[in-house]
Formats: sequence, C-alpha cells, structure tokens
Amino acid sequence: MENEEKLMTGEESLKVITAMINKSRVSLTQSSFHLLFWGWLIFACSLSEFLLWRLTDYATPWYVWFFVIPGVFISMTYGFVKGRKQHVFTYATGIYVWAWIAFLFSSVVFFIVHSDHMESVGKYMLLMAAMPTLISGIVLKFRPLIWGAVSFWVIALIAHFGGNIISGLAMPVAMITGYLIPGYLLRTKGSHDTI
Amino acid sequence: MTPFRELDPLLHSQLRLAIMSILISVDRADFTYLRDKTEATAGNLSVQLTKLKEGGYIEVSKSFGESYPQTMCRITTLGRTRFEEYVKSLEQYIKPEPPQ
Repeated sequence: MENEEKLMTGEESLKVITAMINKSRVSLTQSSFHLLFWGWLIFACSLSEFLLWRLTDYATPWYVWFFVIPGVFISMTYGFVKGRKQHVFTYATGIYVWAWIAFLFSSVVFFIVHSDHMESVGKYMLLMAAMPTLISGIVLKFRPLIWGAVSFWVIALIAHFGGNIISGLAMPVAMITGYLIPGYLLRTKGSHDTI
Repeated sequence: MTPFRELDPLLHSQLRLAIMSILISVDRADFTYLRDKTEATAGNLSVQLTKLKEGGYIEVSKSFGESYPQTMCRITTLGRTRFEEYVKSLEQYIKPEPPQ
C-alpha cells in the first residue's frame, strides 16, 4: 500500500476491509502438536496400565499415570515458546487455549476429589475431555475433531456398561479416535489451511 | 465515483483502514504481521500506527520477544466503535435509502 492518504470510493473501502479480514487467518499446524503429543502419551499410559493389570501381579498399575505430570510441563513449555514467537493472536486461539486450561484445572480437582477410586476415572476423564475437544473442533472448523469428541462420549458409555476388560481398553481406543486420527489429519491439513 | 470526504478521516485512508480491518478481526497483532499483510513499508506503517494510536483507536505495547523487540497492536473500544460507524456510513453511501 503506497499512498496512505489516497481517498477511496465506498467500493474501494469495502474492498480493503474484505481483503484484510480474509488475510487475517492463522495456520492450523500448531494445534496438531498437542493432539498428537497427548494422544500418544495417554495411549501409552492407558495401554500400559491395562497390560500391567492383565499380565502382571503389579499392585498399582495406575502409577503409569504419573508420566502425565512431565507431559503437562512439556505441553505448556511448547505452547509458551510458540506463543512468544507468534505474530498474531486471534479470538479463536484464545478460546482454544482457555478451553484446554479449563480442562487441566478440572482434571486436577477431579483427581483430588476422586483419589480413592482411581480404577474408574477413565470414563469420567473422557466425558470431561470431550468438551474442550468439541470446542476445539468447532473453533478450528475441523470436523474430525468434532467426531473425536462424539467418540469420547460414546466410548465413555461403552466403558460404563461394558465390563472391566472393555472399560480398560476404552481409553487407548478413545485416544486413537479422538486425538490421534484428528491430530494426523489436522497436521496434513494445517500446512495449507487457515482459520 | 466521488470520493467520500465526510467519512471519518482517520479511517478513510487506505493503509489505516487496512490496519484497522486486521485489528478488528484478531485479538492482537504485531508490527511484522501488519507489515506483511498490508504490504506497506515499515516507515509508512509506523507513521500510520502512530496516528491511530494518537487518535485512541489502537493500543501499542512494546515487549522483548525472541531476542528482538516486538511491537504489539490491539484495537481499543473507541477504535471498534469508530470502525463500526465507518462501515455503517459506507453501507449508507453505497445503498442510499430510497426517497420517501
């Protein structure tokens, strides 16, 4: 844009407004990191817990979930470093980030109040995770993530009525449908798409 | 077609309108982002940002990002109101109400 004081007609003004609003879009690529990171971490923890429970005499297989604590720090550090490099923050970015921070706070409180029944937390975690996943899917306008959230609700129901073995496998299966498949699709799409 | 001299003079210039159009659609954007999207020169962009800031239409904050200073811009409530009024005025000019 060369002459900043150039007077414009109404049509020219509207053209400038439309062009700039259309340009103000953000790449989706970054969002896939958290989905893939958490997808693989929870998949590994939940499957390890299941295998320890079924194949060994280990008394407290749920200890594998302590790997989530460094995961939170890795995820937050990644988000912080990427955020500092970011040139623009959209309203969608804010909704996306705060939906997951709310989920983190809810999870911490949930684990504190539910610490005496750790064997049945999976279905409740899926119920809680479905909400930020759905919000992210809507904000990113990315349908596989919306279906991922729906799969969390369906798998939580199956886990509740399906008995111990099905319940134990619910979480790793949910990670594939809710995070990993949408995460890889988003990474492919994100390199050339915007919100 | 006749240019519209009656419209808000602070907004009715190509680069300032472009800056405001970007800032109304995002939460905040830095100097580099605005320069890339508007394709303006750094000097020109800097002058126009100062005018918008002096008019109270935008807030400008400076911080030290990835080992370089970062100038972050955000639209103010006044800026948002003026932009909305500007768009309404434009609509009236483009589609004038039929005479009674």
